[in-house]
Amino acid sequence: MKRPKIISIICIIGFLWIVFTFPGMFSPATKKLGDWVPAVYGFIIALSFISYIGVWHMKRWGVEIYIGVVCIKQIFFLFTDQMGMGAIIGAAFSLWFIITFLFYYRRMSLNL
Amino acid sequence: MHLFLAIIKESVIFAWAALAANRLRTFLSLLGITIGIFSIITVFTIVDSLEHNLRNGIEELGNNVVYIHKWPWDFNEDFPWWKYMNRPVPTVQEFDKLNGRVNTAEAMAFHVAGRKSVKYKNNTVENITITGGSYEYDRISTFDIAEGRYFTEAESTAGRNICIIGSTIAETLFSNGEYAIGKQIKIGGRNIQVIGIFKKQGESLLGNSTDTQVLVPVNYIRNFVDIRSENLDPYIAVKAKPGITNEQLKDELKGLMRGIRQLSPETTEDFALNETKVISQGFDGMFEVVGLAGWIIGGFSILVGGFGIANIMFVSVRERTSLIGIQKSLGAKNYFILMQFLFESVFLSMLGGLIGLLLIWGLTLLIGDSAGMEIFLSRSNVILGITISFLIGVVSGFVPAYGASQLDPVEAIRSN
Repeated sequence: MKRPKIISIICIIGFLWIVFTFPGMFSPATKKLGDWVPAVYGFIIALSFISYIGVWHMKRWGVEIYIGVVCIKQIFFLFTDQMGMGAIIGAAFSLWFIITFLFYYRRMSLNL
Repeated sequence: MHLFLAIIKESVIFAWAALAANRLRTFLSLLGITIGIFSIITVFTIVDSLEHNLRNGIEELGNNVVYIHKWPWDFNEDFPWWKYMNRPVPTVQEFDKLNGRVNTAEAMAFHVAGRKSVKYKNNTVENITITGGSYEYDRISTFDIAEGRYFTEAESTAGRNICIIGSTIAETLFSNGEYAIGKQIKIGGRNIQVIGIFKKQGESLLGNSTDTQVLVPVNYIRNFVDIRSENLDPYIAVKAKPGITNEQLKDELKGLMRGIRQLSPETTEDFALNETKVISQGFDGMFEVVGLAGWIIGGFSILVGGFGIANIMFVSVRERTSLIGIQKSLGAKNYFILMQFLFESVFLSMLGGLIGLLLIWGLTLLIGDSAGMEIFLSRSNVILGITISFLIGVVSGFVPAYGASQLDPVEAIRSN
């Protein structure tokens, strides 16, 4: 099916977010949090990227991965004590994205 | 599970065959990631090594030690230096008075340091740090004695002409293989007997290595130098008892020093109580800036490397479109094609990253101690390097791999 405009906008925002946050993975501040923190942070970003590709192609697996990543991300922020204002705004955006994705979920393809 | 492993195995074999078939292209793609990982992890390795060496140097000064100084250590742009100019320096008399009164201290020492030449027969070492320390100096400062011994309390109190010399000084003065202990060396024209040699410590970025130091009892050095001179930087170092915080120790020292110097309640202190944490805090800003610079330089290198891999994967998919079509018409699932190209990309990226890490490791071995400090590739940097390589492989390879998996078999076969 044809991709709705709102999904395209969300995906573009998501891709831009990934471009800007990917370097944060190896920032000194992330490194200070622990040896494995940059690795976990990197996996979250990579999975987010894959999920946006899925949603862009209107695939259900994209939405499922996205919901999983958002949950992992919130747990990660809680454990690393990074639940600041930025994280809360990010979570609010993620919630909006999820609601939008779920609205179109039935119209998405089941295949890879 | 077995099927999944079989798919992974087959995907790896396909990926390896594709990479081996285009060696020059593989090499050029590897180069991008290798340079990226090499530059970012090299910067992090240097920064981490620098930080490690500095922190070690600061730790040797003691974390639970308070230094009674004329000058405070927290220098900044607005430092009102003129306020401290007329302050008196700490004296041995003040040290003696303090020593009898302080309850929260485990040990305390008086310290002065100047520079002089040291001579033995025809061998001379110029401009050496001569440290004058009171008896408990060994309990305040962290050092080991490789040969000989430390001063006894009687020797220290009596101000005997004895000394402990650094390993570099011992190597230079006794280069003919003579046994240093018991020999008389000359410092400023005076004969001093060597009773010990410090264990080799290596260079310290703070310049407090014992390798190039001579330690003499302060009661001896005061016979021929003016220990009230500010040039000798006199200070009293006080180590807190176990369970006593630096704040508690500082509170007691403040009260005692005010009493010793007979300062009225409305007069501000004419001494500073310094801690080593001020030095480490001073370096934190510098490390942040260097780390940030490395992050930006390395980040761009990685970005370029990632684009290189993505580009090569698009070419690879285009070249093998008809092959993908045949595979799909023979029953290959979409996820198999996806995995095949994704593995190729991850494999390529990780190989490049590992080569970059190996180069850094080789470089750290090659440099060794010649850089004036220990340079090492830390576990966290190895993890970071491998993770970045893996993720660059996934991110830059996913779009071409997904594109390949979505190809229509008939159109793919006809593409050539």
